[in-house]
Amino acid sequence: MVKSFDKISGIVFLVISLLFISGSLKISGSAYGSAVGPKTYPLILGIVLALLSLRLLYESFKKHAETEQKEKSQMYYKNFGIILVSAILYVFLLELLGFIISTFLFLLVAFQVMERGKIIASIIISAVFSIGVYMMYVNLLGGTLPKFALF
Amino acid sequence: MGTVQFLMDGFATALQWHNILFALVGVIIGTAVGVLPGIGPMSGVALLIPVTATLTSGMPTEAAAASSIILLAGVYYGAMYGGSTTSILLNTPGESSSVVTALDGYQMAQQGRAGAALSISAIGSFFAGIVSLIGLVLLAKPLSNIALEFGPAEYFSLMLLGLCAVSGLAGKSVTKALIMTVLGLMLGTIGIDAVSGIARFTYDIPVLYGGLEFLTIAVGLFAIGEVFKTVIEREADDAPIAKINRILPTKQDLKESAKPIARGSFLGFFIGVLPGAGATLASFFSYITEKKVSKNPDSFGKGNIAGVAGPESANNAASGGAMIPLLTLGIPGSGTTAILMGALIMYNVQPGPLLFSDHPDIAWGLIASMFIGNLVLLILNMPLVRVFAKIIQTPKKYLLPIIIAISFFGVYAVQYSTFDLYLLLGCGVFGYLFTKNDYPVAPLVLALVLGPMLENNMRRALTISNGEWSIFVTSPLSLVFLIIAVAWIAIPLILKLLGRNVVVNDEE
Repeated sequence: MVKSFDKISGIVFLVISLLFISGSLKISGSAYGSAVGPKTYPLILGIVLALLSLRLLYESFKKHAETEQKEKSQMYYKNFGIILVSAILYVFLLELLGFIISTFLFLLVAFQVMERGKIIASIIISAVFSIGVYMMYVNLLGGTLPKFALF
Repeated sequence: MGTVQFLMDGFATALQWHNILFALVGVIIGTAVGVLPGIGPMSGVALLIPVTATLTSGMPTEAAAASSIILLAGVYYGAMYGGSTTSILLNTPGESSSVVTALDGYQMAQQGRAGAALSISAIGSFFAGIVSLIGLVLLAKPLSNIALEFGPAEYFSLMLLGLCAVSGLAGKSVTKALIMTVLGLMLGTIGIDAVSGIARFTYDIPVLYGGLEFLTIAVGLFAIGEVFKTVIEREADDAPIAKINRILPTKQDLKESAKPIARGSFLGFFIGVLPGAGATLASFFSYITEKKVSKNPDSFGKGNIAGVAGPESANNAASGGAMIPLLTLGIPGSGTTAILMGALIMYNVQPGPLLFSDHPDIAWGLIASMFIGNLVLLILNMPLVRVFAKIIQTPKKYLLPIIIAISFFGVYAVQYSTFDLYLLLGCGVFGYLFTKNDYPVAPLVLALVLGPMLENNMRRALTISNGEWSIFVTSPLSLVFLIIAVAWIAIPLILKLLGRNVVVNDEE
């Protein structure tokens, strides 16, 4: 899997570098009449990346001869997917529902996804963590965290 | 005023009761941060910046700056002490600079020598801390004087050298490391250009005008990426915790560790001073060195104490050494020092050659407090170790989501923006993909920090020379740095072509 990832990423980086180069050509060439302007440095970077990605592609095609052996250990993609989605929802709802509630919900879901069962413990730990961090940071240390904003 | 006089004044500052308290809190939090996987010294320091601001709000600015930086620096080197605990007891490095410690340390723990491993780490770390501090004291003045001779061309070449050093040594493929470096530099260009005020790559999205925040990307790539990796590839069972029998090392252990500790300290110090190379690199380097000079290299990976003593000393020495370019040149030597620099600037203290002349009490107070902090850590390490061992026994089921929640909290508390949280998640996904496929992430993060400075210096140098690119090679210091940078990348490649294997990160 590693080498095909290399090939794909080589192409992706090449595309990124070309986009970067074209983007930086649009930036103005000079500021207040100076000799070198804001476009130079990004342009150089884009060119360097293009060269490096070509080299990466070359290397990944050269390694083509190597045998493919990857441990077929189980990948918990589904768990990861659920946690990722709930993390995205967490961010989305953070400023709506406030820190305590959204953290509590996220932790509860994540604990259960990691390992089902012991739901009472999950609830208690999520609640203690969310309320504890909020109290400590906002009340004790004077920071700011989102409050419940729906009504 | 002589250096010793300054140092005495520094101790006078550091020994004020509130500064001792700050140092104590800092090192304890640092050890905790080092022990917990997923939250590293970078996140710890960044999270504490607003906290220190609140705590010191009553004091005059200078004193507040000194106290805050004492606490934050305590977190930094405290984390180096803490990271070894989980490596040895659980085969899980607390953070990247302790990865090598796990190789022999865990084996020692399996053989019942956990206590010896832990105490040798502590002793080595202490010795290294003192060595790097002495180095700091001796080199501070001369280096600041040299730094005053540095022009933008020299700074540019020095930073380029730092970036090449990281790329040349990080991971199996130099190409991949260089790609990551350039990617980091590119990410650094997003935002409003400092010199001309022109917006670049922002596409009229307001959140992008300030650029991408380094902390978010760093925490996302390292912490969240690591968590995602553990979630996806979770083995059914973590390694059982090893028992701690005797705490103190035997005479034999001490004898065998003496030379590795000394070697690791000096090696780590010099690597730490180099901008761009930090504790992680130092620990890898030290491990390789110990293996090379050892009389029985095959015993490495099976519980050779030199494999613990050397790297642990190296990473502490490097963290002390990394303070040098920060304080004397104003160039952060690693991600964490970059955040420390941010904290100093927040208090209107500009690190750099003038720091020692304009704010001597902050600089020397910090140095003196680092002596005290190291001493405190050595004493506290033994009782604290058992406490932290208990903390790590938290089952992964609870630990990982909490680490995610802490990272979110940390980033939000610093940035107050949900865009950054999305960026955090995105970087987490990328961090997982990158590390899984051997793309080293550290060069990207360092490039992100050094990028804007690199460009500014380049532009300044070219403005001074009226567009003549030759200024980078005509100035002698700049030429030297550039030659070393090119050599750093080219020599391993040439050696590889000639058939010799010079790969650094190759322990399996």
